[in-house]
Amino acid sequence: MVERTPFLNFFTHVILFVGFVLCIAPFAVVAIAASHNLRDVNDVPMSLLPGSDFWLNIKTAWTTADLGPKLLNSFIMAAGVAAGKVIISALTAFSIVYFRYPGRTFIFWLIFVTLMLPLEVRIVPTYAVVANVLSPYQAILDVTGLSWLIEKVSGVQVSLSLGLLNSYSGLILPLIATATGTFLYRQFFLTVPDELTEAARMDGAGALRFFIDILLPLSRNNMAALGTIMFLWAWNQYLWPLLITTDQSHATAVTELKQLIPNVGGIPEWNIAMAGTLIVMLPPLIVVVLMQRWFVRGLIATEK
Amino acid sequence: MTIIKRGFAALAAGALSAALVMPAVAEPVKFDFWFGLSGDLARVVDTLCKNFNASQTDYEVVCTSQGNYDATLQNTIAAFRAGKQPAVVQVYDVGTATMMLSGAYKPADKLMEENGYKIDYADYFPGIARYYATSKGEMLSFPFNSSTPLMYWNKDAFAKIGKTEAPKTWEDVAADLKALKDAGYECPMAINISANESWQLMEQFSALHNQPIATKNNGYDGLDARLEVNKTKFVQYVTDLKKWYDAGLIKIKSKDLGQDMVQAFASGTCQVVLTSVGDHGTVGKTQKEGMNWDVAELPVYAGTERKNSLVGGASLWVLSGKSDAEYKGAAAFLNFIHDPKTALFWSTNTGYIPVTKSGFDYLKAQGFYDRAPFKGREVAIASLTASEPTEITRGVRLGNFTQIRAEFGTQMQAIFANKVSVQEGLDTLVKNGNAILDRFQQTYPGKTLP
Amino acid sequence: MEKRVTFSSWTIGILFAVPQLLLIFTFFYWPAGQAVYWSLTLQQPWGGGNIWVGLDNFRSILANADYWNSITASLVFAGISTGLAMFVGLVLAALTDRQLTGSRFYRVVLIWPYGIAAPALAMAFRFILAPEAGFMAVVNQVWPGFWDPGLDGTDAMASIIIAFSWKYVGYNFIFFLAAFQAIPRSLIEAAAMDGSGVVRRFWDIQFPLITPTIFFLLVINITESFQDSFGIVDIMTSGGPANATNLMVYKIYSDGFKGLDYSGAAAQSIILMVLIVVLTIFQFRFIERRVHYR
Repeated sequence: MVERTPFLNFFTHVILFVGFVLCIAPFAVVAIAASHNLRDVNDVPMSLLPGSDFWLNIKTAWTTADLGPKLLNSFIMAAGVAAGKVIISALTAFSIVYFRYPGRTFIFWLIFVTLMLPLEVRIVPTYAVVANVLSPYQAILDVTGLSWLIEKVSGVQVSLSLGLLNSYSGLILPLIATATGTFLYRQFFLTVPDELTEAARMDGAGALRFFIDILLPLSRNNMAALGTIMFLWAWNQYLWPLLITTDQSHATAVTELKQLIPNVGGIPEWNIAMAGTLIVMLPPLIVVVLMQRWFVRGLIATEK
Repeated sequence: MTIIKRGFAALAAGALSAALVMPAVAEPVKFDFWFGLSGDLARVVDTLCKNFNASQTDYEVVCTSQGNYDATLQNTIAAFRAGKQPAVVQVYDVGTATMMLSGAYKPADKLMEENGYKIDYADYFPGIARYYATSKGEMLSFPFNSSTPLMYWNKDAFAKIGKTEAPKTWEDVAADLKALKDAGYECPMAINISANESWQLMEQFSALHNQPIATKNNGYDGLDARLEVNKTKFVQYVTDLKKWYDAGLIKIKSKDLGQDMVQAFASGTCQVVLTSVGDHGTVGKTQKEGMNWDVAELPVYAGTERKNSLVGGASLWVLSGKSDAEYKGAAAFLNFIHDPKTALFWSTNTGYIPVTKSGFDYLKAQGFYDRAPFKGREVAIASLTASEPTEITRGVRLGNFTQIRAEFGTQMQAIFANKVSVQEGLDTLVKNGNAILDRFQQTYPGKTLP
Repeated sequence: MEKRVTFSSWTIGILFAVPQLLLIFTFFYWPAGQAVYWSLTLQQPWGGGNIWVGLDNFRSILANADYWNSITASLVFAGISTGLAMFVGLVLAALTDRQLTGSRFYRVVLIWPYGIAAPALAMAFRFILAPEAGFMAVVNQVWPGFWDPGLDGTDAMASIIIAFSWKYVGYNFIFFLAAFQAIPRSLIEAAAMDGSGVVRRFWDIQFPLITPTIFFLLVINITESFQDSFGIVDIMTSGGPANATNLMVYKIYSDGFKGLDYSGAAAQSIILMVLIVVLTIFQFRFIERRVHYR
């Protein structure tokens, strides 16, 4: 834009800069803490001049927590959750906004209520489900007498069993089962002009066609935002991965990181814990940078 | 048809031969051990596990840190309910009552007997054994990481007020703190008043002074035990602490406030703290250059006949529902932990104390307590064994004790913020604590502690 | 809100929702259903047995004065931190959207707070907010006794509000920015040509167009301030001093997770759920009316 607004620009820069400092300050504290030796990091007040042990601490954290393969696991989990949410939520929101079948509002609320109870609160029963993901269906068959019926008729005893402990699906699927994304897409889809739908229908495009060719490209910004947030969220999940990965081969970086955090009665090695934190925070930050490329101005009316 | 039959026969033969070959290249039996330590302590446990695996070829223990004690217990319960529990799990001291009622364990003493290990249970320090044993004295779990609190005092500061010995009574402490204050020390003594400090302030104080925390011998004799700390000597103790706090002799130091007690002591900011022997190594490693300090037993009020202090830490439980092969491995593992040599390794690398007399003697014989960083830790054993445990210094066996500790923290904070008087605060602690105990009792109708 | 133009096929519509429905049934409703059952019983943690007690768990919770304090604290926390996090996020996103020099850089950095790992958050805020050692120590030197989150409940509440808002500024920023960026450039250009200034354009064009996002973030922030707060409380105050920051979810977490009182915790979760659902319905009924969807 060509207008000149020097005052406003000045304030914009000042405010953004202050925001920048506030955002970056805790990271700076962490980085400085990661550069101290054991005594200095526990000094009060901790010195804000960086110490000299940065690379040593990074190395110690890397090797003791064996972060290499753990970062890969974290990446698979976080990318899986982000992708799953972005796709499944889009499908659901499309169904809720663009169709008018009976029970539609009910389904919306059914999905929406999942926002209300965090995983931590229902972790014990959720674990039981993941240990045998088909157990709910088995129970339904049993209670309704269907399994009895099947056994009578075919002689096959129904016993459904599929364990997801120590697997990527077990890590990912329960984390996808919430409603944030659906709600976001709903909000966006409602703003999409009806004219577009009408035009698409006049061109003879079916629902699927409209969804893929028109709706999804329009949702690009929201998908990028949702994907980023979900990636960060999943990356930092702690309780769930800890519970279901007893096998080191599926452990994630954040669960390993927590093991660097000093115990009560242990040596307060905050320098190493913070060095580990820095390493573990790096990949999500890179993802943020990459996702930024998707943030582009709306196209609709600029294609003239 | 015959072809198929022959095929089957061949397959069966193949399977048979495979079965015959298997034992020759037998994989070690794997079993899980979940523990609740993190940081450097988790690394020590990992090394311990590696040592066990290297010591024999029949079993392999897979050790997984669950981060902290709460998460360990919680995750074990979740796994147990789904039938995926580990063979061995570390459960903290206050979880003992819950474990005993769970019906989810295999008694450790029976396990050892069945697998042919002879353990001399009299070898355990009574103060430690009784804490984890049933009221009849059976060891259902094996004490693992153990500690007890000590008074840490700054010799340099005390020298300034002409003292070379640590104060032994609270009366002396009061006088010394005053003198330290007058000598210009900003923070003569540091305490914290969060939930976890229930251990130092309430539980240990009560044991040393032979005062009950709850009826029914602190809960050992039944689930209908109820708190009674609002009418014991503990009331006077809190009153004094509050008085000293108001006079500026005591400062509150906690992690939330930027500096916890141990840091405050190690940096020379505060001159006296009461904390676990487990922090002995931390103070040594993070202390101000050249600072002279030492540890002593916790003070008691003048005229008190000192009793044993209580153990803190955790014990190892073997869970039910595992295979015989895994139990054999678990028994071997517990036996390995029990070995005095393991005790030496454990105490050298952590601040925890040996749990058996033979372990302690072995450490002494190795000159452990004469060497620089470990010197002084024998005071912990002296404190634990100050007397034969009485009916109420065996320990505390109350249900949902974590919640009672949380209530302790809440009421102490209310008292120190002048929201309520000492007596009111402790009355509320007893009232709310009893509601928790009530609830626990109702959850286990008709059950009794073993 | 309803679309005027929709697709007619019921089956295809329902099919689109099936994956999500399967997931939430298996991993949410089934386990949550057990929690409902627990709330009506006294549950032995190890699964040894349970006793049907009907609504007793609810009665004893609602008769407890501490619980009502916890509700009040949660509402205060939710109100202030949502307001703070959304306002700051909105301002930062609006300014970044002006695309002056450096905006690409800000766009990356301002999201970081949401990506911070919990231990780092604790460490950093411990440093910044500690009364005797950190940044606030300076303030305390000017006004002695001004800041004491260890014993003063209000200060402790302020600490967790700051930490939570800080984290969610990043969250709100990214969605606000996405919304701003989705506004067609031509709309703004047209308005600029009509001579309306930057501030004017913001209120007349941009703000109305992002109301769906504002509504989305309002609901999510309020919900998350109930749910995602327990980690911060656990790290910073443990619910203290004297229960001043014992928020509802933290209480559920500590009663259930630490205290193994599954039944009490389940009953509390259900009360919490009902409370959030009521708040949400309220928002849908009264606030969504002001949202411009097109």
